[in-house]
Amino acid sequence: MESAIPHSCLDCTLRPDRLFCDLPVSTLTAFNAVKSDMVCPRNTVLFREGQPARGVFVLCEGRAKLSVCSASGKHLTLRVAGPGEVLGLSAALSGSDHEVTAELIDNSQVAMVKRKDLLSFLREHREACLHVVTLLSQDLHIAYDRVRSVGLGRSRRSRTRAS
Amino acid sequence: MVAGRLDAPNEVSSAHRHTGEPMLSPYGLDIIESCLTCKMRTERIFCDLPTSALQSFESIKYATAYPKGAVLFVEGQAPRGIFVLCKGRVKLSICATDGKTLILKIAEPGEVLGLSATVSGKPYELTAETIDPCQVNFVKREDFLRFLKEHSEACFKVAEQLSEKYNNACHEVRSLGLSHSAGEKLAKLLLEWSSKNGEANKQEPRLKLALTHEEIAQMIGTSRETVTRLFADLKKRQIVQAKGSTLVIRNKAALKVMASSN
Repeated sequence: MESAIPHSCLDCTLRPDRLFCDLPVSTLTAFNAVKSDMVCPRNTVLFREGQPARGVFVLCEGRAKLSVCSASGKHLTLRVAGPGEVLGLSAALSGSDHEVTAELIDNSQVAMVKRKDLLSFLREHREACLHVVTLLSQDLHIAYDRVRSVGLGRSRRSRTRAS
Repeated sequence: MVAGRLDAPNEVSSAHRHTGEPMLSPYGLDIIESCLTCKMRTERIFCDLPTSALQSFESIKYATAYPKGAVLFVEGQAPRGIFVLCKGRVKLSICATDGKTLILKIAEPGEVLGLSATVSGKPYELTAETIDPCQVNFVKREDFLRFLKEHSEACFKVAEQLSEKYNNACHEVRSLGLSHSAGEKLAKLLLEWSSKNGEANKQEPRLKLALTHEEIAQMIGTSRETVTRLFADLKKRQIVQAKGSTLVIRNKAALKVMASSN
């Protein structure tokens, strides 16, 4: 399984289009030093709900399904994450267990950063921290939309269509 | 009361800002004038900032007092800024066009409200309404974004707050989407509340019921009648006992069984 994405973020031509990755060269160089690249087949589970957060996973290529599960094994898909998204951010930052399960639905390339390295990287690089705040805000908007659709049977999208 | 002009409620006057004297608001609140002298800030995620960041924050915030029932912002409204809750509690809810309401959370002092909308520039996702007289520090969107760019420590704390909010939202989706019954959701809610009160390890945890049956129904996505029926059933089975507005969980094991029935 080969990936078209280069191993160095500095050589990646896709990064200007990706919110987290579009960082200044000095920040990217620091990020390169803390990340580990992984090529994973589809159906790989990056992390499971209830597991302590080991780090974050930047999805360079491929998609991942984010879901929650009940004790009886009933699943509810929250959303499908695409390339450029950072998975496991909220658990890594809050130091809590993962609230969702992330499973790859394509053969994917992923950059993993350990929690400890991520926290010091974000403390040292304000630009990256601002990007993370923006990403988390977007994630939160999507999560609230999901709460709305599950709890009240509507979503922003359906409201827009209706209006 | 709907949020309108910022100074519509009781904004702390600049005279009081500089005298350092405690100011009593009409709502019986002792206003904490300066974040720099606030004794509670070390216990609060966002507020525990270095002095230089706090000084900057001090210059952009508007300390405001609101009565119970004031709406800070409404779902769908363009983001004006953030609201740091200093005192009191705020109900965060979403609403359907038919008037059906779902309460996501009761925000406690120290929480920053309207964060994700202010950062992303998208409309507020929730409606925030005070359920006690509250002190709120408001910061305009452009001032807040500039503050975050200049103070990395504050930026990090905002990321932590957003993470907590995201975790809560996922928890809410799980509870609403995967719970089988209203009884299960009510049992989970009561256990959650008792654990927040530090009563989790007690044989018979106690909790103060600050919400009406209607509001509890809005928290678990059911009707007021169902909540009243469920409470009557819990009392009949001696799982809970009401003493005024205090609820005693008499049979925690039975409540746990109800909460994990899926």
